[in-house]
Amino acid sequence: MNYFATRIIQFAYFIDSSKRYQHLKESTRKVLEYPNSKWKFYFDLFMVFLVVGSVLFLLYEVKHPEENPYLDGFIQFSLVVFILEYLSRFWIYSDSHKIILDYYQQSLENHIHFSSLKALGKIVRKKMDYVLSPLAIIDLLAILPSYRPLRFLRIFLLFRIFKLFRYAKSMKTFAAIISEKKFELFTLATFASFIIFAGSSAIYIFETHQNPKINTLYDAIYWAIVTMGTVGYGDIVPVTHEGMAVAMVLIILGIATLAFLTSIIVSSFQTKIAELKDDRIFTDIEKLENYILICGYGRVGEVVAKMLHDDDYPVVIIDIDPEKIKLALQRNYLGIVGDASKSKLLIKLGTSSHVSKIICVTNSDEMNVFITLTARSLSPNIEIIARVVKKQNKKKYLLAGANFAFSVDETIGLMGREYIDQPISYAALDEMLTENIGVLCESITIHPHSLFVHKTLVDIKLHEKHLLLFGVARKEKEPIEGLTSYPIEEKTFYFNPPLEFKIHSGDNLIVMGKKHFIAHLRKLSDQRSSL
Amino acid sequence: MSTPTTIILFGFTHSSIEIARQLQSKNHAFMLVDSDVSLLEKAHALGFELMIVDYTDDEVLQKLGIGTHVAFIFTLFEEDAKNVFLTLSARSLDPQLHIVAMTHTKDAIHKLEIAGANTILDPYQISGKKIYKLITQPEVMSIIDATVFGYHNITIEQLMIHERSPLNGLMMNDIYPIEHYNLLLVGIHDKELQKQFIFITEGHNHKLDAGDILVVIGEKEEIERYKKEVIY
Repeated sequence: MNYFATRIIQFAYFIDSSKRYQHLKESTRKVLEYPNSKWKFYFDLFMVFLVVGSVLFLLYEVKHPEENPYLDGFIQFSLVVFILEYLSRFWIYSDSHKIILDYYQQSLENHIHFSSLKALGKIVRKKMDYVLSPLAIIDLLAILPSYRPLRFLRIFLLFRIFKLFRYAKSMKTFAAIISEKKFELFTLATFASFIIFAGSSAIYIFETHQNPKINTLYDAIYWAIVTMGTVGYGDIVPVTHEGMAVAMVLIILGIATLAFLTSIIVSSFQTKIAELKDDRIFTDIEKLENYILICGYGRVGEVVAKMLHDDDYPVVIIDIDPEKIKLALQRNYLGIVGDASKSKLLIKLGTSSHVSKIICVTNSDEMNVFITLTARSLSPNIEIIARVVKKQNKKKYLLAGANFAFSVDETIGLMGREYIDQPISYAALDEMLTENIGVLCESITIHPHSLFVHKTLVDIKLHEKHLLLFGVARKEKEPIEGLTSYPIEEKTFYFNPPLEFKIHSGDNLIVMGKKHFIAHLRKLSDQRSSL
Repeated sequence: MSTPTTIILFGFTHSSIEIARQLQSKNHAFMLVDSDVSLLEKAHALGFELMIVDYTDDEVLQKLGIGTHVAFIFTLFEEDAKNVFLTLSARSLDPQLHIVAMTHTKDAIHKLEIAGANTILDPYQISGKKIYKLITQPEVMSIIDATVFGYHNITIEQLMIHERSPLNGLMMNDIYPIEHYNLLLVGIHDKELQKQFIFITEGHNHKLDAGDILVVIGEKEEIERYKKEVIY
């Protein structure tokens, strides 16, 4: 291996390990490429301003060729930005050092001679891919005409307008629609060119000698297109009977072609527009962190969504019924029409990364269990809460991996019993649970730095704070003797502990009281103890 | 006939089966009523006795004991129209009757209220609220489920203050917090203020009269002890 090749590999390793280089490249990508980055949004906005500004200046220059220092400055500035942009995109398109290292690795493994020329070839090929991509060509054409010797290319400055494709999403969608209907459009274009060809040849044959306006085939083609496009300027008109007949046929076929063209594009737009709307919602969803996914917007879903939304939890709703999603969107929720049991949809929604909880509340057990299974297979950590429609199916939910599955019939059974036994206390409890009288039952977690750590209940003076302590839940295997306690899940729950009870970090205080009193206590608890 | 049944469940549905099971476990006598003969078989298979009558007929309802000895009825049909109709008929026969009605749509809630239902059970609302609580306050939910709703010994109970009770005439602050008993006094239902529930920490120093009802939470034995030693 020669000296040159060794240096190249050394340099590639150096680049590969340089944090600053990686960071710089990553930041550049954030500005130029990553679709949902904030920086890209501002950058795009700025570029649109530059493009529109420089094109307007070009138009101004047509009638005012004299030099204007401000506008010239602006043009120079925008040119510099365009060049920098072009080079940056060129730079971030591929990682050349990785290509070298990959090639080096390969040559080591296969005992091939490492040729620096070959490595260079690989890099150049990759970069050429960029240079030859349509958007890069537009970028280049937007820059080149500013170079004095190439002034004759001035018209290409208008290519800057095409640069807008890069920065505006809707333009891209339009292009996507056109390219999606490529086959139909191509068929139509073939048909149209055939008619134009036939029409222009006919008029050329019939009228070249009779009509002074038609002298060349170019005139004939121009006339055929103007006629077919139903524009009919009237600068060239057929004078012979044969020519008139050709015109009539051309007009009718032209209308038909235009109608076809319009219907192709309109129908394509209509099918695309629903997708577009969903896309917009998907982008909104991508911005959410730790959101709650509600599958099924029936009556239960409605209640849950409303309560969670009122408490500012981020909520996304999926339902198979477009009508229900329409309702959800009207109520300002994020909603998507789709089948929540499809793993593809759940992956797209970021189940394993962005979703913290999934609530299955469709009206069928089959569906709910299936969603539970799908979600659980995608993420072992996600919390799944499911509503059981038929009580006997509850076990299946837990088998499928739901964290909570509850049947409303069961709850109603308990409520019915309580109601017979104790109509008023049932009402009190129900109101507390459903918050009709403004009294809530909430849990306050004591953080390690809380003001309350190592304090006793006497110190906290809950009574003065208008709160009632239902009990304290503590992560403890061995309960303190002499106190009323119950094991609940992994915790011990002390019911109504005595006043000398000492609070530890990590305890959960279950308190009852008005919302603002609870909020006040929570705030107090979260204050760091002044050491 | 021994003691006449005071509880009637109308409609043989999932909910009524569940309530019936719970009532059975507490040894309450109850009657299951529906009009659909085809349900008989299912009821027998589940070990329930189902009475098939035409509940739209007021005379039949009277024969069942509504207006005389029946104190509670549950209307648990799947169709809201049936529940509303039954609530109306029962209410017109007995203004004192406790009617617990089930609803399946939002519109029906208001109709049932007008018809005279005392309590309205909306399974969707209940599910929704439960899920909401599970998400926002999972600890509270598991603790309440485990304690008050029964696996453990803690219950919520109401204690009526009688004429001769030592509490009669005391102020609320005199008895709160309850000392010497491991009980939580949650609040008071005041007789004069009708159904108003006064939460204990709101700070009203209310005078206790005969007929007021204390709502307490605690272990069953402790409540019994308190009842014996203080209330009577």
